[in-house]
Amino acid sequence: MERKIGRVDDIPQTDALIVQVEGLPIGVFKRGERFFAVKNLCPHKRAPLALGTVSGTMLPTACAGELKYGLEDQVIRCPWHGWEFDLVSGKCLFGVSDSKIKTYAISVRDGDVYVDI
Amino acid sequence: MNKPTMRIIDSDVHPWVPGDIEGLKPYLSKSWQMRFEGRRATLPDHPLRPPLAGATSIRRDATTPDGGVGGSDPAYVRDVHLEPLGIDYAILSSIQAGKLVSLPNTAEAVTLASAFNDYFRDKWLAFDTRYRLAMCVAVHDPIAAAKEIRRIGAEEGIVAVFMPLTNILMGNCHYFPIYEAAQEMGLPILLHPTGTEGGFQTSVSFAGGVPSTYVERHSCFPQIAMGNLTSLVFEGVFVRFPGLKVLAAEFGFGWLPHVLWRYDQNWRQFRREVPWLEKEPSSYVLDHVRFTSQPLEEPEKDEYLLQILEMIHAERTLLFSTDYPHWDTDYPQTTFQRLPAPMRDRIFYDNAAELFNLQPRT
Repeated sequence: MERKIGRVDDIPQTDALIVQVEGLPIGVFKRGERFFAVKNLCPHKRAPLALGTVSGTMLPTACAGELKYGLEDQVIRCPWHGWEFDLVSGKCLFGVSDSKIKTYAISVRDGDVYVDI
Repeated sequence: MNKPTMRIIDSDVHPWVPGDIEGLKPYLSKSWQMRFEGRRATLPDHPLRPPLAGATSIRRDATTPDGGVGGSDPAYVRDVHLEPLGIDYAILSSIQAGKLVSLPNTAEAVTLASAFNDYFRDKWLAFDTRYRLAMCVAVHDPIAAAKEIRRIGAEEGIVAVFMPLTNILMGNCHYFPIYEAAQEMGLPILLHPTGTEGGFQTSVSFAGGVPSTYVERHSCFPQIAMGNLTSLVFEGVFVRFPGLKVLAAEFGFGWLPHVLWRYDQNWRQFRREVPWLEKEPSSYVLDHVRFTSQPLEEPEKDEYLLQILEMIHAERTLLFSTDYPHWDTDYPQTTFQRLPAPMRDRIFYDNAAELFNLQPRT
């Protein structure tokens, strides 16, 4: 069920646009040409997830001391405890937890942004 | 004392070199003998002495029949400790060698470490095959320490590397040559309070400041294991050296569950800082680290101890030890007697046999 949540220009460059869609608190992020929508609720301890940062993260390396940055603009980090979730799959990254965030399909038509709830 | 029927490996026994450095002189060159002439022939004691007879950790009743220091005679230790208790193997580590970290001079520490090892190989390992040695190294010079490990580490009587700690956490690359050599030789690293903690510029510091009594410093020994275990795990030492094992002897174990919970909780939050840890930190501890049982904690209810044993997976991680001839010796007949037999066997024998690669005695 699609709902229009605003215009592309309404979404900030870095922070989320936080909206209520039929009672659901949803955060919408824009990174380049990619858009993500997540429920504004962390499954760990119910933090306002959409206030977290979206970036990449350090990928597992299995080599002590080595750093390898990846998943650019695809990881949301909870603002409270730093748990990292994949914005595409909703999964908590790299075995930290089995919990998932709620993600929504998002589309853009003629500058209008729609979230499928 | 009735001889128990179960098999026992005592993972913490302390031999003593009579005369301190004087006793090592036959194992030093003439030049080094002269270097230690006179007042430099003794290794320093911590200023906070035990409030016990003789102001020493060594029990008076361990004194040898001819008046020697407790632990100084392998025959006497055999007669009063190995035989009556039915001990299959006793893992030796030298408290005197632990004092090498009080020495600011690297060359002296390196030289004495080799002398300690040669003394114990000559006087103890050759005397009775039940004695097995945690050879010591001087951490001042990790390259020289690695060389010492490779010099004698392949001998049958050498079963571990006793690494007295200086004020550099164990995850630091300073120690990597030592870990590399130990892993290569299949030897676990053995850690033990040295009696120098908080007392010397070159020794390990206690958290928060300098204790002012023996009871304080003894109570705070677990801090040293906590700090170093944390460093080992999060620096990825067990990732870099996947074959390395570590035994934390006489640091207690009651603190371990809390620390493991904290590691895992923090890893979930800060994994990106240590991306080389691909699983929960507690699993690295359970796979790579072992703990000795002495001194056994005495909670107000026995069931608390059983819960702790379960939390730390003692059937994998705990090794029985006496700490003979020190004041707080735990004896098999009064330790863990109400544990189920399978776990008791793991603690009293199997875990040590696996860690030190000890074959059953015929």
